[in-house]
Formats: sequence, structure tokens, C-alpha cells
Amino acid sequence: MSYKSISRIKEIFKYLVLTFWFLVCIVPLVTLFMASISDTALFQSIPELFSLRGRTFVNYVISFGHGNFLFHLRNSLIIATLAIAVVLMVCTPMAYGITKLTSSKSKNSLIFGVLSTRFIPYVVIAMPLYLLFREIGISGSLFGVIMAHLAMQMPFMIWLMIGFFSGVPNEVEEAAVIDGCSPFQIFFKISLPIVLPGINAAAILAFIMSYNEFLFALFLAGPENRPLTVGIMRYVGGIDVGAQYGVVAAYGSMIVVPIIIFALIVNRYIVSGMTQGAVKE
Amino acid sequence: MGATFLKHDKSKVILMNKKYFKPWRFILPGLVLGLITLGVPIYQAFENSFYDIRLYRLGSEIFIGLENYMNLWNDPIFLIAIRVTLIFAVGCTVLSMLFGLIVAGFLSSENIRGTIKARFFMAFFIVPFVTTQVVTGVLGRLFIWDAEFGLVNYFLGLFGFGGVEWLTSSELALPVAIITNSWRLIPLALLVFYAALATIPESLIESSKIDGAGEFKIFTNVKLPMIKYHLIFVSLIIFTSAFREFDVIFSLTGRGPARSTNVLSLMVYQQGVSVGNMGYANAIAFTMFLIVAVITIVYMSIFKLGRVGT
Repeated sequence: MSYKSISRIKEIFKYLVLTFWFLVCIVPLVTLFMASISDTALFQSIPELFSLRGRTFVNYVISFGHGNFLFHLRNSLIIATLAIAVVLMVCTPMAYGITKLTSSKSKNSLIFGVLSTRFIPYVVIAMPLYLLFREIGISGSLFGVIMAHLAMQMPFMIWLMIGFFSGVPNEVEEAAVIDGCSPFQIFFKISLPIVLPGINAAAILAFIMSYNEFLFALFLAGPENRPLTVGIMRYVGGIDVGAQYGVVAAYGSMIVVPIIIFALIVNRYIVSGMTQGAVKE
Repeated sequence: MGATFLKHDKSKVILMNKKYFKPWRFILPGLVLGLITLGVPIYQAFENSFYDIRLYRLGSEIFIGLENYMNLWNDPIFLIAIRVTLIFAVGCTVLSMLFGLIVAGFLSSENIRGTIKARFFMAFFIVPFVTTQVVTGVLGRLFIWDAEFGLVNYFLGLFGFGGVEWLTSSELALPVAIITNSWRLIPLALLVFYAALATIPESLIESSKIDGAGEFKIFTNVKLPMIKYHLIFVSLIIFTSAFREFDVIFSLTGRGPARSTNVLSLMVYQQGVSVGNMGYANAIAFTMFLIVAVITIVYMSIFKLGRVGT
């Protein structure tokens, strides 16, 4: 075989692997969507599921009606928005301050603290808070859920932002000092605009994290503020209760399709955020 | 120290620049909030673990010292849960790193990296990562791994296999949970490795090529050592994230069958919320915290993570 045909085969093989992986990522979700517009959902074979016969929207009707989809969506959005707003307000200055510390000892211990708290198991936050809020009589409140979300997001966000602010060239800020800017002016008018794309990426990731979150909602959210991730569990069924395949599929599709389309649109930000978050400082 | 003083002496500006910012004023609000949101629950978990607290008789806590921990040590369910959690976390780490590397390797190969094709693939490769975890679990349970109607058995059926009881077999449920959770974690590894591989200078690869190394050999002997720190850091992130996983397993298998997927996070929920044995649940949670703390600190000091050279 000639050198050329070998490299051609290699090339085809590469694309086969990548296409295979593309299918692994996408096909499960397409299955979910196809099931959501099927009358009997998965009580039919896979080929039938992907055929065009017997399409229906009844599962969506149930999700909106009995499933209270919009109510849970509202709660999801409230939780995610509040959490991000607070996190951005306190984490951005904090990360900035850390990069400005002169003592390398306090700098290192703060960074160490931020990094190590990033790995805390979430039940260690959820379980004690559940008990605490019951004891002081505010169980199920929005406050509790937000507090847990802050605990989950802060270490990750500060870690990301330290990376961003470290990248701001010193000369730019020094020039601002000479021009008589106060520290707060420098932060708001010089440094923050420079790192804004990074902060966008961080905020997008934080939003997705909060929107997808289930554990804290299960422990801490009362009936009046349960998000989508708890809403869907009603139809999943236990061992003895039958699952409602079609409704689960419709509900699940409506939870993930918006977030996936969003992720595809802001893909660039997510890629940079995820990459930055896993870089050794 | 005012800006007017600094104006006159530029050399001093550079020296004093950082003190000028009074960084603690920026740090304090976040630090206080962080200490409250993280410190309060962790301290509560620690304190509660020394008490006998029943959810349905709140207000009648009894201090029992280390009894919860002694009971844990003698509880076969807890010991199995530790084993299951570690197998799950290690399994997810190995699988995610492996597939992340393979796909990143192909995606960063010549003719593909940096092109619009690479960007197209990458856009879809991160989809599992942003997919809501409970939906991933539910999707797996009802549509992918279902013995009768699931996608996996359908494809196996095309090759004459099939009918595998993935989720109702106590031997297969844990591997299935590992695969399902890895599906979600692989994008993270893949993405970071792809970005890291892209930073390797072209000249280095060219010179290895001249030395007669094949593409695979260049990958294992030249490229992998170059991204060593990314491999280490990502493995820590994935391990800890799998160690604390709750959502995917809760919605995929519950804890079953026969507690074969009863990881520590689920055991905390079951003991605390379902049984109402709060002291015990908090003792498990605090033990989890200690395990992660030890692993993280050992890892971070061996590999010197989180230290900024000054």
C-alpha cells in the first residue's frame, strides 16, 4: 500500500472515531426527544420510536398542566439568578483583592482555601443545613437553597476569577495609579472591563450549574420553591410505582433543550470557562 | 499614601502598587460570606455527629460522644457504601480520563485541530456536560439501559446479543452508573486536554517527527508529558466530583439493586431524611468531608497545586 493510501485510511479512521463520539453525545438526547412526542413512549421498539407514526403532544400538555412546568421553571430561574447575582457581587472583588495581596503567605493560604473548598461533598453542606433550618423553623425556604448554591459556586467562581485578574497587565493599573485613580476606580473602570469576557464565561457556567442542581433542592426547597429538577422526579416512579415514560421524556426534553441550545450559542464562553477552571494556577 | 505622592516618583509606584490597593477591603465581604456558607454547615455537621438526633423528635438531642462513629465502623452497610463510592469515583476518573484523552488526541491531530470541523465537534462534545444530571440519570434508567426497550440492548440485539438486565442486576448496576456518570464528565477532561494539547509548540512535534517517531508515539512520549499538570489537576476534579455524586445515581438506580449503588451521598440522604437518624447522617457526611479533605490536601501538596510563585 502506498504511503498516500495509508494516510488516507488514517484520516478516515479519525473521522470515524469523532463521528462515533458525536453520536454517543447526541443520540441519547434525540431518543429522549423522540419519546417525548410518542403516544406510548418507550413501550415500542427503538425503530418505531424513530418513525414518524403516532406523533403526539399529549405528554407536553400533561407536563404543563398536571406537571406545573412553568411554576417549576420560574423557581429554577429565581434560584439561579439570585445565586449568580450574589456570587458575582462578592466573588469578583474578592478574587481581585487576592491577586493584589502583597504577602505571599496570606495569598497562598487564601488560594489554598478556595481550591480545597471546591471539592467539598455537597451533602456535607445540604444535610446540616436541612437540620439547622428545621430547628430554627425556616425549613424549605428560598433562603436556604440560595445559601447552599452560594457555598457550591463561590470556590469555583473565585478560582476562575483569580486566573482572570492575574492576567491583567500591571502596567495598565500602574498608569491608572499615576493618573490618580482610587483603588475602587481602578477596579471598576480598568480591571473589570478587561476581564469581562472571562466573567461572562464564569457567570454562564454558574447559571448552568445552578439550573441543573438537584441535591440542594431536594434537601432544602419547600413545596413553594421547588425547581424543575425536583418537578420531574414525580413522574419517574419508584420501584413499585410505574414511571410515566412519555411525561418524563417531555419534561426532561423541556429541561435540557433550552440549556443545550443556550450552551451551543455561548459555546465559546463555556469552553473557555471550563478550560480555565481546570488549569493549575 | 496618596496618589499625589506617587505621581512624583514613578519607581516607587511599582513597589507600592499592591499596598496602594488595600486588598483586604475587596476580600472581606466575600470571605465573610464564604465562611458563613461553608463554615456554618461544616461546623454543624461536626457538632451534630456527636449527638443522637431524631428528626421526628427534634429538641430531645442527647450527647453521645463518639458513638455515631463507633456505630459507623461496625455498620456493614456503611463499609460497603465506602467501597462502592471509591469504586465509583475511581471508575469514573479512569474512564473519563481515558476517553477524554482519546477523543482529545484525535481532535487535536493534524488537519483537524483549530479548524471549523474541530469547533463543530467540540460544540456537541460538551453537550453531556451541560445536560441536567437528573435528566441524564432518568434518561439512562428509562431509555438507555432499560432491559426490554433500552437503546443499548437494541444495538446489542443487532449483533445477536441483548436482553441484558443492566439495572436490575447487582453486578452490572454499578458499572452502568459509572458509565452514565462518565458520559457527563468526559467533556470536562476532553476539553481541558484539547486546550492543553494545542499549546504544545509545533516545532517540538516536528523535531520528533524528523527523529522518526510515529503519531501514536509522539502522543504518548512527547505530548502527554507536556500536559502532565493538566492530567493531574483534571483527575483530582473528576475524582472529587464523582466522589460526591448524588443526582445521577439517585435518578438512575436509586440505591439499588441490593444497595449495589448505595454511595455515601445517598446513604446520608437515606439515613437523615428517610430514616430521620440525623446524628448518624451527619457523622457519615462529616466522614465524607474528612476523606475528601485528606485526599485533596495530600494531592495538592504532592503536586504543589494552588501555590502561586511570587
